[in-house]
Amino acid sequence: MITKDEVLKLAALARLDFSDDELDKIIKDMDDIIAFADTINNSVEGDADKIRNVSSKATPAEEFREDVVKDSLPNEKILSNVNGSKGMFCVKGGI
Amino acid sequence: MKEIIAPLSKLLSSKEISSVELTEKYISEIEKDNKKFNAYVSTTFDKAIENAKVADSMIANGTATALTGIPMTLKDNICSDGDLTTCCSKILEGFRPYYDSTVWSKLKSQGAVMLGKTNMDEFAMGSTSETSCYGAPLNPRNVNHVTGGSSGGGASAVCANLAAYALGSDTGGSVRQPASFCGIVGLKPTYGAVSRYGLIAYGSSLDQIGVLANSVKDTATVFDAISGVDANDQTSVDFRFGNISDSLGQSDVKGLRIGIAKEYFEGINPELKDAIDSAVKFFEDNGAEIIDISLPVLKQALPVYYIIACAEASSNLGRYDGIRYGYRTENFNDVEEMILKTRTEGFGDEVKRRIMLGTYVLSSGYYDAYYKKACLLRENLIADFDEIFNTCDVLIAPTAPNTAFPLNFTGASPVDMYLSDIATVPINITGVPAISVPIKNDSNGLPIGMQIIGKKFSEKTIMNTAYFYEKNAQIGVEDFDGGVVL
Amino acid sequence: MSYQLVCGIETHIELATKTKIFCGCTTQFGGEPNTHCCPVCTGQPGALPVLNKQVIEYAVRAGLAVHCDINNNSHMDRKNYVYPDLPKAYQISQFDEPVCINGYVELDSGKKIRIERIHIEEDAGKLVHENGYTYVDYNRGGVPLIEIVSMADIETPEEAREYAEKLQLIMRNVGVSDCKMQEGSMRCDVNVSIHQPNEPWGTRTEIKNINSLSNIVRAMELEMERQEDILDSGEKVIQSTMRYDANSDTVYVLRSKENADDYRYFPEPDILRFYISPEMVESIRASLPELPDDKLKRYLAMGLPENNARLIYKYRNVTKFFDDTVAEGVGASNVLNMIIGPIFATLQTEEDKENFAIKTTSSQLAALVKLIDDGKIRANKAKEVLSQMLESGKDVTEYIKAEDLAGLSDDDLKALCQGAIDANPKAVEDIKNGKDKAINVMFGYIMKNSRGKADVKKAETIIRELIG
Ligand SMILES: [Mg+2]
Ligand SMILES: [Zn+2]
Repeated sequence: MITKDEVLKLAALARLDFSDDELDKIIKDMDDIIAFADTINNSVEGDADKIRNVSSKATPAEEFREDVVKDSLPNEKILSNVNGSKGMFCVKGGI
Repeated sequence: MKEIIAPLSKLLSSKEISSVELTEKYISEIEKDNKKFNAYVSTTFDKAIENAKVADSMIANGTATALTGIPMTLKDNICSDGDLTTCCSKILEGFRPYYDSTVWSKLKSQGAVMLGKTNMDEFAMGSTSETSCYGAPLNPRNVNHVTGGSSGGGASAVCANLAAYALGSDTGGSVRQPASFCGIVGLKPTYGAVSRYGLIAYGSSLDQIGVLANSVKDTATVFDAISGVDANDQTSVDFRFGNISDSLGQSDVKGLRIGIAKEYFEGINPELKDAIDSAVKFFEDNGAEIIDISLPVLKQALPVYYIIACAEASSNLGRYDGIRYGYRTENFNDVEEMILKTRTEGFGDEVKRRIMLGTYVLSSGYYDAYYKKACLLRENLIADFDEIFNTCDVLIAPTAPNTAFPLNFTGASPVDMYLSDIATVPINITGVPAISVPIKNDSNGLPIGMQIIGKKFSEKTIMNTAYFYEKNAQIGVEDFDGGVVL
Repeated sequence: MSYQLVCGIETHIELATKTKIFCGCTTQFGGEPNTHCCPVCTGQPGALPVLNKQVIEYAVRAGLAVHCDINNNSHMDRKNYVYPDLPKAYQISQFDEPVCINGYVELDSGKKIRIERIHIEEDAGKLVHENGYTYVDYNRGGVPLIEIVSMADIETPEEAREYAEKLQLIMRNVGVSDCKMQEGSMRCDVNVSIHQPNEPWGTRTEIKNINSLSNIVRAMELEMERQEDILDSGEKVIQSTMRYDANSDTVYVLRSKENADDYRYFPEPDILRFYISPEMVESIRASLPELPDDKLKRYLAMGLPENNARLIYKYRNVTKFFDDTVAEGVGASNVLNMIIGPIFATLQTEEDKENFAIKTTSSQLAALVKLIDDGKIRANKAKEVLSQMLESGKDVTEYIKAEDLAGLSDDDLKALCQGAIDANPKAVEDIKNGKDKAINVMFGYIMKNSRGKADVKKAETIIRELIG
């Protein structure tokens, strides 16, 4: 069972706030979902420890992107989804 | 099932109708019918007319392609420059990306006409599209039922003939399952076959852009146009598929080795099982070899999927903080408080649940037991699929264990809803391609879908198999009567 | 009570690539806010990172320069935390497969400070706080960094400074970064803990983002004092992140780490695992320039005085100029004196020396030094000439006339020496009485009358013979 403290810690990491009512609900939901997630530990016949690392093929570093400059976008575009100020993203208040 | 794209293209090239006229027809049908189905959450009609004018000049000067002038739609999580793209979430309220996704820029350069953005579960998290902040899209087959999800709006629009085809995204079945619920075709390509650049991420290692269309031929035509390696997406793969659309119908299914995994049929509605059985019988009658196989790890696929998808989602959705785009809360004293309130007010319950689960499985003390274990089991599943495709050319399975739910159907817990993804998620976990095609209606008149699954980059094989079925089997799902009908 | 220091340093160095780590935007320093930006480096929904291979190459280069092993298989991870300067709410970094592991930096004392790992990651943007608002500029966001993590082998603030200086020197020399601490292209996070001898290590604090070598020493001294005061009064040091403020010369707690961060690292799904082949490693190793320490050793082996050699060995362009000049077959010691004398007189700052923009060439200096070597002009005269050359950019031949180069015949020199003796009877007397310095008066006469051409050593021998 997940504790209220654990849920509050997760919520803080995820930057989410739950009211007291919501907290009861999310604790219950988390319990259900974690119990469901726990079923990965139910052993499956013939599966016990056969972990086969098949998808970890690595790509030669030489095939990655060339270091060639491309045009950046104009400041108006960068700020087009927000009320910016002085060419910057801007939030009232400190941090 | 009806082909739409090639016949429309023929009308356009023979100048029986211009793209602008065709687009206007779609616009007027959307204006009339969208309130019935809630398929579109935003429209881009001015842009559509502009696209159509470009298409008409391409047709006039002989540079038209198979998709030139054909009206279509994008899921609300696929970016196009200057157009609302909100993932049907309050937190992306008003968001207009300032760049084009690779799929849209490819289609645009081929003269496609974009009508708008279609409804979906918030951030693609759901199986009914009911978590959309705009309300659920409705199933044109029966408006008391859901479209499925998360690409429900696209499925609804294509089914109701409010778009010739739609692009959706499929993280755990989000293209195939709504296609099956709405009685259309849905393709989830191989991971890496289509660029994800401009697709707003849910579970990055699982997400893939897919096609919703009225027929296998239409699906192949669109896939041909959007697939290919992309310098903006390192996980895209340079695989030359050739022209799959032209290859359709050139082969039959004699000698095709079809695998049937018994685990896929456990706990499935008997009516659906019978439908799939008779489809398999059809292939057998036409010379395919049916091979019974066992895939015990399938049972673990669902929790593995939810652990990995939620882990990635918890990270991908961290960026919605109100600073650069989207919703920002009204009252706050400092930046920290602004971020907390913005996220708390901006995300819906299902999204919050998945962020919380993802945070949990990645957090110290739980990482090994959940996330890491899930990744290892994922490797197992991939290896098992690899082995199966040594002996089988394709797998056949149901697309979903059920047909479209009634609206507002709620199980005892969120987990009940997750269980309905059982048939689709293994495909995303292993990265292989699968296509869902309608086979018949259930006793309530709701369509049943069949999944044809292949090994990586076997799109040609699965689409040819699906095409053979569509052309030669007795399909018990009628074409929808309404929308733009030629 | 006497405490022992335990210190490790994490050094962030911005790599000298042209483009950012995951997009084609320029890495140029400065620029109007948010003008070196695109969907990728501002964390736009749907944008994807595309790893720059030059970053991998530079990281390997940096690692080899400090004797690291290279992990042939490597991958990127996400480090999740929320801060407005981090547009995706995760930093793409490396967790369990860094590019480099197990290296060291050797201090002058011969002590080795071990390097645990070097990994690649992206820089964050910049926050500006002004009249009640927080502003964000992402120009720096996505600039590639390497993070060099030392083991806790450092035992004094001076060792910390030397370690950082050596790193700076090495990284500049192999060309992976300009390492300008004032501009933030090199930043040190210093971990400090103290304990009584034979007691377990104390709780450590981390002083973040120290931006000069001297501040490293100062910040550590202050933090050690602070921790000593805490421990002496019977309290406990609390694990925390500290800042050093140079203006007020204080260290202060930025945040305590009671709520330990949980970064929830996991492999970055948007970037492929990468393979650094042994061939690639070897070709990078082969392209490494001589490292500063090796250079210094070579100079000492050439017989150069250590304190003079130390004045030049750190500067890549200076040592290249030195080596090129010496390669023309002239005396190394004379070349070195010309460089640390007249040339360094025109290069006041570290940066000037780094850039080494001077108006003469190694061939010109070699021609000049050859004259000294051959005894045709005196070193002092040569220095004067060099100063003029550095100002005008003209050749040696513009300043040294044929008659200067002819030198004095032995007879002429002998005549001049006699003249000097005749003109300075008082000095002759003094020399006879053992006042050796008096000979300088003679030299003055000889130099003046030979217009600087006389060989002073020879003259001294002649004078002493003549005086008898
Ligand atoms: Mg770091
Ligand atoms: Zn950029």
